[in-house]
Amino acid sequence: MSAKQRIVQGLGLATAGALALGLTACGGGEGGDDDGLTTIGFVAVGPEGAWREANEANIQDTFTEDAGYELKYAPATNLDQKSQIDAFTSFVDEGVDVILLSATEATGWEDSLKRAQEAEIPVILLDRGIEPDDTDLYVTRIAPDNIEVSTAVADWAVSAFPDGANYFVLEGPAGVSVVNERNEGFDAVVGGQPSLVKVGAQTANWSTEEAKGVVETVLKSNNNDVQFIFAQNDEMGLGAVQAVQEAGLTPGVDVKIATIDGTKNALTALAAGELSFVAEYNPLFGETTLEVVEQVLNGDDVESSIVVPSATFDSPEAAETALPDRKF
Amino acid sequence: MPESLPIVEMVGISISFPGVKALDDVGFRLFPGEVHSLMGENGAGKSTLIKALTGVYKIDEGEIRIAGEPRRLGGTADAQSAGISTVYQEVNLCSNLTIGENVMLGHEIKGAAGINWRATHRAARETLEKLGLGHLDPKQSLATLPLAVQQLVAISRSMVAKSKVLILDEPTSSLDANEVEQLFTVIRRLRDQGVAILFVSHFLDQVYAISDRLTVLRNGRFEGEYRTEELDRARLIATMIGKDIATLKSLDAKASRRVRSDEPPLYSAKGIGRKGAISEVDIDLHRGEVVGLAGLLGSGRTELARLIYGADRPDSGEVTLDGEKAEITTPAKALARHIALSSENRRDEGIIRDLSVRENLVLAVQARRGWARPLPRREQDALVEKYIAALGVRPADPERPIRLLSGGNQQKVLLGRWLATEPELLILDEPTRGIDVGAKAEIQEYVAALADDGLAVVFISSELEEVVRQSDRIIVLKDRRKIAEIEGGHGVSADSIVTIIAEDALGDERADAVVREEVTS
Amino acid sequence: MSANARGPVEALKGLVRRQYFWGIVAVALLLLVNLVKDPGYLAVSIGPSGNLAGNVIDILRAAAPVILIAVGMCLVVATGGIDLSVGSVMVVAGAVSMEFLKDAPDTVGSTFTALALVIAVSAALGAVNGVLVSVVGLQPFISTLVIMLAGRGLAKVITGGQNTAATNETFRWIANGYVFGLPVVFLLALLVAVGVGLLVRRSALGLMLEAIGMDAKAARLAGVNRRALLFTVYIFGGVLAGFAGVFATASVMTVDVSRTGYQLELDAILAVVIGGTSLAGGKFNITGAVVGAILIATLDKTVVFLGVSSSATPAFKAIVIVALCLLQSERVRRVFRQRRAAGTARPAEREVVAA
Ligand SMILES: Nc1ncnc2c1ncn2[C@@H]1O[C@H](COP(=O)(O)OP(=O)(O)OP(=O)(O)O)[C@@H](O)[C@H]1O
Ligand SMILES: [Mg+2]
Repeated sequence: MSAKQRIVQGLGLATAGALALGLTACGGGEGGDDDGLTTIGFVAVGPEGAWREANEANIQDTFTEDAGYELKYAPATNLDQKSQIDAFTSFVDEGVDVILLSATEATGWEDSLKRAQEAEIPVILLDRGIEPDDTDLYVTRIAPDNIEVSTAVADWAVSAFPDGANYFVLEGPAGVSVVNERNEGFDAVVGGQPSLVKVGAQTANWSTEEAKGVVETVLKSNNNDVQFIFAQNDEMGLGAVQAVQEAGLTPGVDVKIATIDGTKNALTALAAGELSFVAEYNPLFGETTLEVVEQVLNGDDVESSIVVPSATFDSPEAAETALPDRKF
Repeated sequence: MPESLPIVEMVGISISFPGVKALDDVGFRLFPGEVHSLMGENGAGKSTLIKALTGVYKIDEGEIRIAGEPRRLGGTADAQSAGISTVYQEVNLCSNLTIGENVMLGHEIKGAAGINWRATHRAARETLEKLGLGHLDPKQSLATLPLAVQQLVAISRSMVAKSKVLILDEPTSSLDANEVEQLFTVIRRLRDQGVAILFVSHFLDQVYAISDRLTVLRNGRFEGEYRTEELDRARLIATMIGKDIATLKSLDAKASRRVRSDEPPLYSAKGIGRKGAISEVDIDLHRGEVVGLAGLLGSGRTELARLIYGADRPDSGEVTLDGEKAEITTPAKALARHIALSSENRRDEGIIRDLSVRENLVLAVQARRGWARPLPRREQDALVEKYIAALGVRPADPERPIRLLSGGNQQKVLLGRWLATEPELLILDEPTRGIDVGAKAEIQEYVAALADDGLAVVFISSELEEVVRQSDRIIVLKDRRKIAEIEGGHGVSADSIVTIIAEDALGDERADAVVREEVTS
Repeated sequence: MSANARGPVEALKGLVRRQYFWGIVAVALLLLVNLVKDPGYLAVSIGPSGNLAGNVIDILRAAAPVILIAVGMCLVVATGGIDLSVGSVMVVAGAVSMEFLKDAPDTVGSTFTALALVIAVSAALGAVNGVLVSVVGLQPFISTLVIMLAGRGLAKVITGGQNTAATNETFRWIANGYVFGLPVVFLLALLVAVGVGLLVRRSALGLMLEAIGMDAKAARLAGVNRRALLFTVYIFGGVLAGFAGVFATASVMTVDVSRTGYQLELDAILAVVIGGTSLAGGKFNITGAVVGAILIATLDKTVVFLGVSSSATPAFKAIVIVALCLLQSERVRRVFRQRRAAGTARPAEREVVAA
């Protein structure tokens, strides 16, 4: 039975995963510079979801041996910061040429970053920032801009509802910086539009299932008088679609739903008319990173923050054109 | 007797529980420097009176005066600060602490940096030595000790508190003659120092040996206060049970010897043993025969009983039941083969406190049937009714949580549990512990009658007389091995068993001497 | 209070004495608060496909997975144990079914195969718990913690870190369909709860589990087969959690490896405690656990209905739960009892050494 095999395999992989970090750390020693490759240490997040997978696969696919790099990939075990710090430290000790860091947690990186600085190893932050945001401790942060992305959603909403609308926001977990930024960008635009009335906001913890439950109740408490739902990620948007359908309404017609991320699932739903707007939060910044790494190794100056451009999709047609080569 | 001021005076005490008036207008006095026994049947209200005095129960009516001062005892801490220490009927120690920690609990010796453990353990050792328990290591964990030794540790603990009043609720029920004597020595010493001692026991010999004065309760009422010498046993019993002594005449009658048929034994073990518990023993048990296990504390009686029942897994030996090989390695297997064991440790291995009398009584029967075949409620009620009546459980309320019953009545329910499984082999480890004189005689008769009907019985008691009186055959144990097996009957007495044990000890010494000679030569 | 001749007044009195009574009161109060906000809150209408629709129906549907895991948890807690792994078993069950259905044809047969897989996998995880607790003798807290941590990792491996979605109408119907106008999930959960309740009280299982939970040593000596019972109970809890996982994923036909069942073990434990089962083991109450589960669902729904902001939500929930626990506390209850039975004495301490 295939599923069974899969699970057995899975158990094996889980153990292997636990060992992987140790192996990368040990195996690095003999890598050296003698083969003429530039060594990059990538302190990564690891399995977290489709977005992260696309992002890290993209990085790994960019820094190939053909391109002249040896990439050492160290995903965190269970999103644990300690395992990241360990990996970071061993990269410093090993003396890699550049360290790429996607931190699972924003705080607690000062000591590690200082060690890298003493060893004169440049550190580039990918996606996740650090706190306190001391720009002296790293070279640059490469990431899409949450504020920019959510502003795009807001601009679309303003144009899509010239006669005004009642809207509801599905947020990520309370207090997370991504959520705050996405709210900030959105509110800055929509707050100035009296015709757009906010009926409420609730967290659905990035989850499809929770979002469905929340929207189901929100529709009832507003007697279905909601025309627009802003979901701060694709998963929640897809849950909202199902809740709208269960309530006997048509998504895209009675209730328009906009989401952020731009995963394949969301674009498929957009192509089917279930979602109305998808703003990409672009995970594919391998190329940008490669350019920055080269500049850094050449000793050029780089900006302390580099924004990765993100696309938006506002129609089924746009989604259909993008779908065939969507990577995530 | 110092007719000075009483240290404790309880006047007009009443306490009711839902459905029972446990104490009804009871008076009680305790003088410094006396040993005062509280007497009464099971459920008469002795433990309740004690708990009123130690602040565990609130009194509904009446007054408690300590050294002449009326006191409201709101909790055990109040009682302790009034100088009252208690050893409860059920051993109540922290079994995961060490002996020393238990003895000194709440009285640890403080040093500059917190508790000075060395000094604390030293103090614990001194206290234990005073009780003749110098051989115990204060650093040993309490859980490893036999129940009787735990009881002694509980007593040493109350000595540490330097109290004016010491309450002992059935402290002797699991002690053998020697230990009782040890305890009495301590009690007398404390009494001579002016401590007032309240003593409860169902052993009349002990009561007469130690007490200066008696107070008798019956059904929660005060029957009278007497000086020990003015009330003989017959009248004491009559006062306690409110009936004439004649009904109890069977108490001392020697059960007539049952003749064993030539049938093969019901249970036969060859070389069964368990490392650290008991060395290999052969034992045969026949239908219709009562076999007593005699020996001092720690001789391996309980261990052997547990091995037969599968409570501990034997690591050697072979067992046959009616000639067929049998694996009895868990209690469930034993029950399936109609073997039952009533444990000596009522609190930890017997009752399940929060279950009702009915549930406790049917538990073993139900466990044997398995959960999928519930015993119909009607059959449960019939069983419960039968054994409540047969064993005289009071109050006769099957739905009452068993923890609310008096100690003796809990014991009766447990006996009911095992009898209800209709065992072919019944192992009774201290079955009459805490049971009053009247009920004890009835239960002994009941067991004897079952044996006459073909039940095989193994009987363990710290009272050698009881073993001798009950048993058709006696296995004598010492130092966790069998040293003799004797037929009961005339000529066998408690003394003759003591002699056997003593001679064996002498033999050991001689053997030691031989070894020593061999080594030196 | 004999069971045969009980009038309605007696029955009500009996209910008030139950610990979960306060859970019912809390549900009623929350509904009342919602009713104040919107007088039409309790209205139930006929929905698009002839089913009943309304906030109450939503609550029942949301309660279903929690009811399942709470029932399982209740039995485990009765034996003096705890099962922290239910949330992870849920996600594994969801992952297995979604991965299977993703490539399977959209037929009833596929649904049943998926359910069979779920039963097999969740029973296996339950069995691991059972072995660790009953044979190896580890503390239940630790044993199930291991599965809790490993389970979510396992789910990620099964789906390759993805949030797998699938289509299967029958599977979807389990969580979204209606029978007799009521949500299928709720009817199933109720069926399980009633079934387990009857099984446990009609057979001797309840007595055996309580005996183990109250005093394992004494129960063993009384011939109770502790090992087999513990093993059974953990497997059973695992399978129920597996079904809860099916409910959760079938609702949106997506398994979310990091969110499905996340921290639901806490909801289950809370439901059990609200229902009047002590975490120390022993006496347990299935009805109470169901009431607790419904309370939790009502609370979740109320938060959204009232529009409590995301950041205030945890505090709101905590206040309700703490208030409830206060009402249930022995001390407060004693005050009530003392008023009722003024004159009869109570022991100063309840847990005294019986003598
Ligand atoms: N907490 C309680 N709740 C209800 N009834 C109780 C409680 N404690 C004791 N009783 C009842 O009060 C009566 C007196 O009990 P008590 O324990 O004082 O007897 P006792 O004289 O110590 O008996 P024994 O010799 O068996 O130890 C008994 O009928 C008992 O069932
Ligand atoms: Mg007593």
